Amino acid sequence: MKIAVMQFPGTNCEFETLVAVKAVGMDGEYFRWNRPAGELSGFDGFVIPGGFSYQDRVRAGAIASKEPVMSALKEEAAKGKPIIGICNGFQILVESGLLPVSGNVDMALAQNVMVSKGKIVRRGYYCDWVNLRHEAPSRRCSGSFIIERAALLKIPIAHGEGNLVTTTPGLIKKLNEEGQVVFRYCDKHGRVISEFPVNVNGSTESIAGLSNPEGNILGMMPHPERAFFAWQLPSFDPRKQRPDEPGPGRRVFESMKRYIEVNA
Amino acid sequence: MSQKINLRVWLKIPDAEAATVKNTLVRRLGFGNVLTDVKKERLFSIEVDSGDPEELAKSFAKELVNENKESHKVLIDQLSFEEGYVPVKVALHIEDGEAISTRERLRNRLGFKNVVDVKKATVWKLYFNTLRPEAEQKSREIAEKLLINPHKDSYEIVS
Repeated sequence: MKIAVMQFPGTNCEFETLVAVKAVGMDGEYFRWNRPAGELSGFDGFVIPGGFSYQDRVRAGAIASKEPVMSALKEEAAKGKPIIGICNGFQILVESGLLPVSGNVDMALAQNVMVSKGKIVRRGYYCDWVNLRHEAPSRRCSGSFIIERAALLKIPIAHGEGNLVTTTPGLIKKLNEEGQVVFRYCDKHGRVISEFPVNVNGSTESIAGLSNPEGNILGMMPHPERAFFAWQLPSFDPRKQRPDEPGPGRRVFESMKRYIEVNA
Repeated sequence: MSQKINLRVWLKIPDAEAATVKNTLVRRLGFGNVLTDVKKERLFSIEVDSGDPEELAKSFAKELVNENKESHKVLIDQLSFEEGYVPVKVALHIEDGEAISTRERLRNRLGFKNVVDVKKATVWKLYFNTLRPEAEQKSREIAEKLLINPHKDSYEIVS
């Protein structure tokens, strides 16, 4: 089971992402953007990690989305292979038209706008630990395959452009109805509150992660690789004192592994 | 009566973002046979309701332009560009937080209470080896394929 961890100029989370891939028992390697794209067919799954590909020039993910490896990834995705895009990886998937529906750019991840009590209180880059509620049924999406519906995960975010906006009529309704909304920002009790600080970036309907209709592609703004081990958790979380325990982000990578096993 | 101060700002040093855009358009998106160069400017459009616009423009430039690396040009109540390229103005059609922050900084931190509104845009200057009608058509293709995401950006070819 071999996973390609994609590396574009400016990607900066590939090392911890590969650690996470290997720690759940998958094999993996970095796949640089300028390698022959055809070599992607030798992999069973793909992770596009976070960072600032091409320094976010033009807008986050825009330049990387035009690289030949992304065309090759589309072909691999069409075979049902799993792809997980994390943070900048999610932005690249959206700009490539791989999410939320293959073919068109149906949405944007715009600059964060934090709203509280009807007023804008912050804008732009923000990092914090957030709570996510798993919205999809288990087995619906490759990156949350083993996660039960309504499970809560504490995972960090760090981004300036994660605010889902769309002018596509009916898109959000369709995503909800077809189970493509995988994660929403919520409070520690699982309540989805549309305002900051629970909705950390102003995203439409507090959406933090999406899948494609087939479920093999997941894009999410939070970083599961940064909450893979319990020792990575913030000091106020009691699980940090039990460093041998898995962190909540581990389940995303375990899901990918299980998805590949089931669909092999 | 309000007046609009347009501040065109560009880098004196090489613009890596413009170079990346040119590279992507030529190598990835098939414009290599018509596109010869890409340059970029930032555009601030600052609306004021009183004061001498020429003097205000000088003050705004001191705050918004870093003369060590940037040059600028002021245009009052007009926006024009030189011949030889197609200027494509890209701006957010959703709320522009940076523009709002700039307005608040000018009004509340720097005391320019006559600032009514600030708008920001990026102007991509596209150089072609073809004449204007075809160059404009190519510019529209470039804008829609790379320069904008229509869910948050809009563009205009400034004639």
